[in-house]
Amino acid sequence: MAPGTPDLLPGTLDLLILRTLQKDSLHGWAISERIQHVSEDVLQVNQGSLYPALHRLEHQNWIEAEWKVSELGRRAKYYRLTTAGRKQLTIEAREWDRMQHAVGRVMKLA
Amino acid sequence: MNLRDLTLRARALFTPGSVERDLHDELSFHIECETMKLIDQGLSPEDARARARGKFGSTTVAADECRDERGTAFIDNTIGDLRYALRTFRRAPLATLTIVVTVAIGLGLVAVLFTALNVLLFRTDSVPDITEIYAVEQPQQANGGPSQFTRQYFEALRSDTNVFTEVYAAVNELDLRVDGRMMAVNLVSASFFRVVRVNPIMGRALSAADDDRAGGNPVLVLSAKGWQRQFKRDPNVIGRTVLVAGAPYEIVGVMPEGFRGLGVSAPDFWAPLARLVDFVPEVRGRDRVGIEIVGRLKPGLSMESARAQLAAWDSNQSATTDRTMSIALVPRRGTVPQPLEAIAVSAPLFVAFGLILLIGCANVANLLLARGVARQREIGIRLSIGASRRRIVRQLLTESVLLALAAAGGGYLVSRLALEGAVYWATQTMPVDLGDVSFSVPAADWRVALFLVLAAIAATAFFALLPALHATRIEPARSLRGALFKDARPGRARNILIGVQVFASALLLTCSAIFLRSAIASSQFNPGFRTADTLSIDMINDNKRHAMLQALGSDPTVMALAGARPPLLARPPRALGDVGLGKIALSYKHVSAGYFDVLGIPIVRGRAFTTAEGDEHPVAVVSESVARTFWPSGDGVGKTLRIEPDLAAGRGGAFLTINPKAGAGDAPLTPRTVTVIGVAKDVAGFRITDVKEAGVFLPTTVEAPQTFLVARIRGNADLARQTLLERLTRIDPNMGKIITLRTVARLETFMLTMAFWLSVILGGLALLLTVSGLFSVLSYLVEQRTREIGVRIALGASSRKVTQLILAQTTRPVLFGLLAGAGLAASLATLLLATEAGAMISEIVHVTDPVAYLSSLLVIVVACLLAAWIPSSRAARVDPMTTLRQE
Repeated sequence: MAPGTPDLLPGTLDLLILRTLQKDSLHGWAISERIQHVSEDVLQVNQGSLYPALHRLEHQNWIEAEWKVSELGRRAKYYRLTTAGRKQLTIEAREWDRMQHAVGRVMKLA
Repeated sequence: MNLRDLTLRARALFTPGSVERDLHDELSFHIECETMKLIDQGLSPEDARARARGKFGSTTVAADECRDERGTAFIDNTIGDLRYALRTFRRAPLATLTIVVTVAIGLGLVAVLFTALNVLLFRTDSVPDITEIYAVEQPQQANGGPSQFTRQYFEALRSDTNVFTEVYAAVNELDLRVDGRMMAVNLVSASFFRVVRVNPIMGRALSAADDDRAGGNPVLVLSAKGWQRQFKRDPNVIGRTVLVAGAPYEIVGVMPEGFRGLGVSAPDFWAPLARLVDFVPEVRGRDRVGIEIVGRLKPGLSMESARAQLAAWDSNQSATTDRTMSIALVPRRGTVPQPLEAIAVSAPLFVAFGLILLIGCANVANLLLARGVARQREIGIRLSIGASRRRIVRQLLTESVLLALAAAGGGYLVSRLALEGAVYWATQTMPVDLGDVSFSVPAADWRVALFLVLAAIAATAFFALLPALHATRIEPARSLRGALFKDARPGRARNILIGVQVFASALLLTCSAIFLRSAIASSQFNPGFRTADTLSIDMINDNKRHAMLQALGSDPTVMALAGARPPLLARPPRALGDVGLGKIALSYKHVSAGYFDVLGIPIVRGRAFTTAEGDEHPVAVVSESVARTFWPSGDGVGKTLRIEPDLAAGRGGAFLTINPKAGAGDAPLTPRTVTVIGVAKDVAGFRITDVKEAGVFLPTTVEAPQTFLVARIRGNADLARQTLLERLTRIDPNMGKIITLRTVARLETFMLTMAFWLSVILGGLALLLTVSGLFSVLSYLVEQRTREIGVRIALGASSRKVTQLILAQTTRPVLFGLLAGAGLAASLATLLLATEAGAMISEIVHVTDPVAYLSSLLVIVVACLLAAWIPSSRAARVDPMTTLRQE
């Protein structure tokens, strides 16, 4: 992992992927680019763990994949959120908010 | 697991390449995108590619993790396991082959039995809802025989009662000559086919018009068996005419394969019951022919209420008919035997065959125990480099299943070969004149396949997996150092296995020795009358009797002719004899003049009957033993004897009834007082068949109705039988059987010989496996203890002492096995003798023959000594210097 990049909390990568896929279907590289871009380069997804995570999410039926021809003119695997994935995203987003709030309070008051 | 996973796994299994390609494409696409981005940022393509790869990390690891997440690793592991197992087998081909062949032989033998029983036990009836079908029966007939309903009674029951949806009447298993060939026919009312609800595959079933009581039509419906036997499945058989007992019959239908009616085996054809008069001329004008009545119960009607209704109706009938007994309903479960019977029949056979499998498996286990030591090292290494115990067990399981499948395949081949061989042999050696018996090799179906695979997996799992599992319970560090586990006692397990093997061999070989000795005794057994040149001739049609007697009298091969009623090959009926000292049960038979002469039974005192003496003459010849019973002091000739029928006498069982119908319709004995004119020598009779000579002989003539014949012939008995059969069938196309007495005499020996060969093959195999197992175990032990033996010899042990040391290893288990095997055989024999059937068997099979026991045990001891001799002599030749230098 590149220096200066904070370790992601366990489970947050799944949340980030689900959130990123909320609007469009994307291939793996685009997902990592999108996360990096939106987080203003703070979060850099470890490529080696991105694909196992994608396959795990697909296995859990939260995202589904489709082979399409990419902008580069090559076969690429595009991932898309499923209905179950949308539900999971809501749950995990709420969970994340709670956690963030709690951590914030501890940081402020403890 | 969802559907997508399933398809992915399936793809991973069948086209592993495509899944791998997808994964590879996905990852390399990512690297390519990254490279493009870096090139856009100004790097050279080479640098960009290198940076992108570096950033990604190992694609192999990523791909691996992806596979783990998806569960396709399962497939990879299985393929890996299979590959590894095959490699293990290749490394030890001899051990693998031994395991497969040993288990295959044992399994094959058990499969032979299973295939044969499969046909009998697991067959299904093609009759739908067979549980609704009940036979109407009368329990406890006065003479103990089957119920004797009449056609009138059937018609009345059918029209008056309302318990059956449909009911039929039948006369079963008549033997009739069809175009000269003996075939079995069931005569049925037309309603038969509506009761069983099975339709013909060709033509039509019998119609009501065919079975019209005024005469009916001469038509018949073939069973699949009859179609095959007589017409070789000719598709144009419908409409053809055949001669049945001399009368032309038209074939109107063919029933489907597997339809057997409600009997154990199908008849060759069904004909209308109304045609009964054609086949049994004596019934013309009489209506009292025993028929069975079978019906399909109305749905929802319980058996009890149906029985009550029938009984009520039946008691109203009593006024017109002479029956007083109440009616019973007996379920016709068809031809599928009840589970309890099936177990009783098959259990002893399965035990005998299973013993071979057990011995084989014991060998395999022994082999694996020895090999387990070698594999401990390998497993230790695998455990220490991080393999989980689960993973290793799975690996061993894969090996077992592979071995099991190979053994199952081998077992199938063994079973087919054995079955084909046995059937060929039985067909070759079966005496021809016992009837048109055809054996066919039972087909193996999915049940046999399933049985083989399951039994193979059970056998290998139990005997191969357990030692292997045991091997994983070790500490890697110790096994790497070469220190093998100390707590387990492989020696003890080995001893138990050897004991079990010797035990099984002793049991089987004792049986074969008993059968062999009994067969030899049986072949020398003298039934007490001439068998070499005597024929027994069935006389069925009394209206053809005169013509047939003339033909026989003029035939050059027939030297003498005599009559017997009931026939020679039937059990004589019981009667009570009284000379004023109380009634004594005895058996009697009507015989004509010349009977004693034809059969060569000596008359020890007085004289035999003359041709002038017929049924009405008040004279008798008694056997020596009867004479001794009634007149212990005198010779009996000239004394009088009161003889009357014994109504209480039941019918005893027999192993084999040669002519079950003979004597069934015999007229009851009229009580009479007779004068004894002669005393005949006691006759032992045939033992295995139900043929015993009578105690009292009453006179008759060959012309008397229902009297069967015996003939002394000149020249070759089989040849004479053939020519006589041809000659007599021309007179009476429905001629009964002609049997040479020599065949009957040989039958007993034939059966014992069959039993002997069966047990000797099983016992021989058992001994062979035991000996090879003993040999390999001892060889292994000698190998393992070479160092110790070397030290002993160096310290001055003589070679005799060393040999003793090795032999002592096996003495105890062998002795234990011998004693247990012989002991079990003896105690089974004692149990057998205690039963009624057993007492009957023991007359022929000498189950406690000490010579048989001793000789079989001796054979085993000698075989075991031979097996031990090579390894122990090798041990005695160990050179202490060489072995000690090896250290």
